[in-house]
Amino acid sequence: MELSAKVNETDHKPIRDGLSMGLNARTSEKIAFSLLTLSAMAVAGFVLIILAYIIYNGHSAISVEFLTEMPRMRMTEGGIYPAIVGTIYLIIGSMATALPLGIMAAIYLNEYAGENRTTWLIEMAINNLAGTPSVVFGLFGLALFVKYFGFGSSLLASCLTLSLLTLPVVIRSTQEALIAVPNEYRESSLALGTSKWQTIRHVVLPAAIPGITTGSILSIGRVAGETAPILLTGAAYFLPRLPDSVYSEFMALPYHLFVLATSGTNIVKTRPLQYGTALVLLMIVLGLNFLAVLIRRHYRQKLKI
Amino acid sequence: MTEDVKKVAQPHIVVENLNLWYGEKQALKNISLQVPRNSVTALIGPSGCGKSTFIRCLNRMNDLVKNCRIKGKVLIENEDIYGADVDVVELRKKVGMVFQKPNPFPMSIYDNIAYGPRIHGINKKDIDGVVESALRSAVLFEETSDRLKSPALSLSGGQQQRLCIARTLAVKPKIILFDEPTSALDPISTARIEDLIMTLKKDYTIVIVTHNMQQAARISDYTGYFLLGELIEFGQTRQIFHSPKEKSTEDYITGRFG
Repeated sequence: MELSAKVNETDHKPIRDGLSMGLNARTSEKIAFSLLTLSAMAVAGFVLIILAYIIYNGHSAISVEFLTEMPRMRMTEGGIYPAIVGTIYLIIGSMATALPLGIMAAIYLNEYAGENRTTWLIEMAINNLAGTPSVVFGLFGLALFVKYFGFGSSLLASCLTLSLLTLPVVIRSTQEALIAVPNEYRESSLALGTSKWQTIRHVVLPAAIPGITTGSILSIGRVAGETAPILLTGAAYFLPRLPDSVYSEFMALPYHLFVLATSGTNIVKTRPLQYGTALVLLMIVLGLNFLAVLIRRHYRQKLKI
Repeated sequence: MTEDVKKVAQPHIVVENLNLWYGEKQALKNISLQVPRNSVTALIGPSGCGKSTFIRCLNRMNDLVKNCRIKGKVLIENEDIYGADVDVVELRKKVGMVFQKPNPFPMSIYDNIAYGPRIHGINKKDIDGVVESALRSAVLFEETSDRLKSPALSLSGGQQQRLCIARTLAVKPKIILFDEPTSALDPISTARIEDLIMTLKKDYTIVIVTHNMQQAARISDYTGYFLLGELIEFGQTRQIFHSPKEKSTEDYITGRFG
């Protein structure tokens, strides 16, 4: 307590940085405020421009037929139904693996692991996993799941590869959410004679759910958009039917978009279909993000934070 | 000092030669004292003197601190709580703790109090009764009986602290430790908590760490004065405040330093 009070006192020394040097406080405040506002606006602006561009070019392609039918005429006509279904399967499959594994690993690292060499090694491994290019995950998935485990080029192999790819995101966001839970909750629960796991299960996790949910859904966005890992482990160039088991190949939106735009049979003719596909993919991701906001708000209200 | 310790009848807590280190730094030096049953024992002393560290030894909250090493004995009801076969979870059921900052869980008032008993496997039909009696004992029932389902964080600071006391009572401890329970509260809420502590000593043994010497004088039967990790003086509150044996105790109590 006293220590932090002292730190605060010393912190109150007026800070002079390069920007405010030689300027009075009001001018430097104005400059800083404008720069920061501008940066924030620029970010929002780019998102809006991309969104507007894709909606403008893609909306004409959207129809019931486009959303519910198989591609026809060498993918120059018809719909993208199998790609939509494939992407949804990928999301479900990879999350079913990555969420339990990632959340449990994060709980271990944050609540149980001590500060030792093993923990350090695990943390390093997660950091490296997060920085690995997705095509490397694809090759790894090809070697391990497709070949070694013999799953073949399949939905299963792709889901597992994607879950590895998204694991660091899930772990990190869960850890952030756990760190944000005030230590007082843990202490006062333990002081009531509860075990560590009871405390985690009944106090820490409920308080961390909004953060965990947000992080998980953001990682879904990543799963929905990845191309390289599924290209190497199970996505089909063209497959006018739905996968009938986890060992089937499948179509997926990002790869379908890539195919239409680079190696389709008639790239110019299918341009509206490309934008339409991009729009559907974008809507799925945005829809999920919106869902994350709703869930977070629901729990915030429940917890009254 | 040894004389005072001997005077204590029916000790509920006996501490013998307790030493504690945070890494290399020794935070408690050879502390010995006895806390009598059904009394209020106040621990006073300047910031960083070790009084909070000490109280956290009594329910082994220091177990959570990294690099914390403890030597010595703490006997509660004649059992060494640092013994090899001690169940810390059971110990903390017996020795409850109320913290400096009111810290209710982000749940309803009702769930906050039912939290402990539910985890300890209370019969479903008994929960209502336990919640009500805990709230009544903490003098919070009148104010909250019509909104038990509303969030605990909507209560005022003083009410939240009484809720934390009720939450502790619901687990039916024998001893309650208070770690500066009123330092974050206004004078009126403080007075209510002090009254409450004085009523609670009928049924519980109470140890309270406080910054506030007047508070120690008002509510405690015994007082211990800590300085730089040592227990300088321990005895009946009247004696400590009226005729301290040590010069340093007198200096602190009269406000010459601290």
